[in-house]
Amino acid sequence: MPAAIRNTVDRLDKPSAYYQSRNKKRKYDRDTEERERTPEEPAEDPLKDAATLYVGNLSFYTTEEQIHELFAKCGEIKRLIMGLDRFNKTPCGFCFVEYYTHQDALDCMKYIGGTKLDERIIRTDLDPGFQEGRQYGRGKSGGQVRDEYREEYDEGRGGLGRAIQAERLKEEEEYGKGR
Amino acid sequence: MADYDQRPRGGRGAGYNNRKRRYRDEEDYDRRPQRRRYEEPLPVKVRKQLLAIAESPLKPVEEEVGVIAKTVCDNYEDAELRNSFCELVVQLVVEQPFKTPFVAAVVLVVNTLNSELAADVLARAAQKANEGIRRGEWREVKLLMKFLGGLQGLLEGDGIFSVLQDLLTKAVDLQTENNEETIGPELVKIILFTIPYIMSSSATDVQEKANSLLENTDIIASEPHVLQSLVDPYPGNGTDEATAPNGVLSLLQKQLQNEATSGWELVCLPRPWKVLLEPDQADPLATAPKHTLPAIVIPEVVNAGPRALFPELYFSVYANQDIETVPSMANIASCLLRDALVDTINILDYNRNATSRFLIDIDCYFSPGTFVKRATPFDRLRDLVEGKSTWKPEDVAVDAVFSQLFQLPVPEHKLVYYHSLLTESCKLAPAAIAPSLGRAIRFLYRNVDSMDLELSYRLMDWFSHHLSNFGFTWKWTEWIDDVELPAINPKKAFIEGALDKEIRLSFAQRIKNTLPEPYQQLIAKEKEKDTPDFKYDNDDTPFAQEGKEIWGLLRKKAPEDQIQPIIDRIHAQAIEMNLPDPLVASTDAYMTSICYVGSKSLSHVLSSIERCKERLLAVGAQSPEARKQIIDSVMGYWKDQPGVGVNIVDKLLNYTILSPGSVIEWALAKEGTRLSLPYVYEMVSATIGKVTGRVRQVVCGKNAPGIPPEVKLGMEQTVERERKSMKDLFQVMEDALVGWATGTKDQTMQSGDGSTVDEAMIRQWGQRWLRVFRRKFAVEQAWFLETERVGVEEGVAGVEVIGGVGAGNGHGNGAVDGNGNAEVEMVE
Repeated sequence: MPAAIRNTVDRLDKPSAYYQSRNKKRKYDRDTEERERTPEEPAEDPLKDAATLYVGNLSFYTTEEQIHELFAKCGEIKRLIMGLDRFNKTPCGFCFVEYYTHQDALDCMKYIGGTKLDERIIRTDLDPGFQEGRQYGRGKSGGQVRDEYREEYDEGRGGLGRAIQAERLKEEEEYGKGR
Repeated sequence: MADYDQRPRGGRGAGYNNRKRRYRDEEDYDRRPQRRRYEEPLPVKVRKQLLAIAESPLKPVEEEVGVIAKTVCDNYEDAELRNSFCELVVQLVVEQPFKTPFVAAVVLVVNTLNSELAADVLARAAQKANEGIRRGEWREVKLLMKFLGGLQGLLEGDGIFSVLQDLLTKAVDLQTENNEETIGPELVKIILFTIPYIMSSSATDVQEKANSLLENTDIIASEPHVLQSLVDPYPGNGTDEATAPNGVLSLLQKQLQNEATSGWELVCLPRPWKVLLEPDQADPLATAPKHTLPAIVIPEVVNAGPRALFPELYFSVYANQDIETVPSMANIASCLLRDALVDTINILDYNRNATSRFLIDIDCYFSPGTFVKRATPFDRLRDLVEGKSTWKPEDVAVDAVFSQLFQLPVPEHKLVYYHSLLTESCKLAPAAIAPSLGRAIRFLYRNVDSMDLELSYRLMDWFSHHLSNFGFTWKWTEWIDDVELPAINPKKAFIEGALDKEIRLSFAQRIKNTLPEPYQQLIAKEKEKDTPDFKYDNDDTPFAQEGKEIWGLLRKKAPEDQIQPIIDRIHAQAIEMNLPDPLVASTDAYMTSICYVGSKSLSHVLSSIERCKERLLAVGAQSPEARKQIIDSVMGYWKDQPGVGVNIVDKLLNYTILSPGSVIEWALAKEGTRLSLPYVYEMVSATIGKVTGRVRQVVCGKNAPGIPPEVKLGMEQTVERERKSMKDLFQVMEDALVGWATGTKDQTMQSGDGSTVDEAMIRQWGQRWLRVFRRKFAVEQAWFLETERVGVEEGVAGVEVIGGVGAGNGHGNGAVDGNGNAEVEMVE
């Protein structure tokens, strides 16, 4: 793909600001630590041929079949990995979709990212590829980090953030009995 | 918006361009007044102005044109500005076609102030046109021609007409040689779409040239192309609704001839250059210097380009309304608006939000008065003053998206792109778009019987996907009468298929809640079950005991040698019962158990298939009946959620446990009523898609450059083998479907209860299927011949393969060394 030419309209098939900023941060860290060792990083883009997508903001109740039905509209799916709660092994609102080709993944960014699945707007991001372990939530209580401290009630994602729920529960136990 | 990634970097001392910077460095901490820093450098400012030209209905576009032209010319010595301006002009023309007349106007004004700059633009446009011609990027060539057509006023002599004449000569040559080829008509299309932009430009004395050109295009444009019937969206299917398809070329030819007789009014095209003429001032455009058009050369051998070319038909869902909400086919606006829209849609697939914006803002880019006010309700159109336009901008835009969604044989992009475009437009301007979609859906549903089968499947797929984005709300009450129709009726099949697809994207209970009472019966209780019942749990089922035992062992992941004794027991009993094929009975128990064990999710069933694949492979290899039984068991277990079954069959094909032939046979050999089931069509077309995809892959592999001859020989044999099995597969379909279509199969299968109405219906389904798969076969054959032809030609002529051509879509037209001669004769 001729990357040098910039289009007159933004492209939707680029990695998100989240991905890019994460990379940047990492680079900074490395800069300070290993400056002498690796003065010049090879500028190979890990997303150059990426055929995998991270899919976020799913409902906990959305099934593999539903995801398959929607994402197959962009090409045959090679592999679908549901994101699971680290402790309960139940879906926790994200997944990885792997296509056979890079182009299918790009098309998915353009045509499916930001549309609805199971009545929620879902988010897609190009991903360098699934690795064992990444299917689990990294939040303290086992789910995704964003579901720890969320202050808005989200029925599809277990109500309030889990940390907040735990706090409320504790408060209730401590003060509620006395009332 | 698109700017941030190429703004000059490292200019931090200059103090601009820091709006999006996340990380501050030391220099940022000095306390200079912040506001001054937002002053943009001139190239960026002009870029933004040019990018946004005509976008705002609040700014008079003529002023914008003047300001941009003046800024660029006043700062002519700024090389960066000059360069980025010229570059952007040419890029804008090929990426945002709506803006072409306005960009052309800027260049016309530039020419009055600084003719060198205009010459620079001309040179770049011509160069890009030459590149486009060489690569066969005919759309890009057309867009550049339209732009240059708009500049005819600053060209010397014949100007752009001489290029159009060359294109015509080439087209006539090609067509004389072979009237089935498709490049000739494509070239004529470029000519015909360029003419209106010349005629609405500032050029004078062009009428005669246009008229004579038009006389000569007639012979190609007015002749319906031989492939036209292949891509007809409404073949009629034996109903009365069949209408003669309207080829875009012949339509446009007629419309242009009408314009010629009425003095080239071309009402809908904007003339932004006009306001330059102030009342008591000499016309600056007339006195500005003229330029010779740089050479644009049509080579001896023309390239068909990266996409297969097919005749284009004019498709409209709003054609037969009592009030005209889109231009009628007699009006040239129909083709001009459609052309600009379709190009915009297909070029900008990488940003559906921007494209939707264009669709909704379409009235900004054509002459004022072309459309009624946005979002005017249909019923209000009646009250409009006589003589005013009743064209609804949203109808015109939506119509163009549908024309692509229903493009045969395939649209340029994946279908889901067009879905997303309608979704986005609906989100952006619900009050305007939603009612238009409603009328479109009604039209499409009304005519679903006479529509091409592939298209009615696309309609169902889009409809359900669209609803899933908008809370599944639809006025189902409108079609209540059709709920009573028999399942085999196309309208009923559409309803059932759409509901099934909705359920797949959601779940049964949710969809049931969106439906009026009469529809409720269509969603059986069983559909709400997450895990379908296991038939061997019922002791009345033959081999119930064995079925349960197999399931138990599979669940425990017991080794195969523990399962074999039970299979043997089934075989023994089956022989005792005089069953024709004992393997069928055991396969049923085995496969059904696999489904039940893996019923929790797709990954569960995949891992149980993975564990059992040795036996399944062996079973499949032993008998075709057993192979069909595998499909029967899967589809039987998932009968209430056929989508899951279809998915499993697809995976079984990947494991080569099933052969494509067995799927086709399962679908088409036995029951005629299966032809009306959308999921059967889905299964078959996915299977065929795999086979044709595989053939294309091996052909491309063989044609890749740099393959040593001995390897190539092997690859050629693979190609031959794969093509042969593809052909055989299509033949199997052809035979089965002809049987259904002509009714010969009916007699043999007749169980006695088949009413004549049903029989007629099955014949109709047979014909619809036949049409689709004959077309698919024809498309594959054409693709192969074209790929080989290009390969051979490039090999013989020794033309270097230009990097990147065709590679973008995966079917590279690699060079072939000159001895692939067998196919050459077939092309002639």
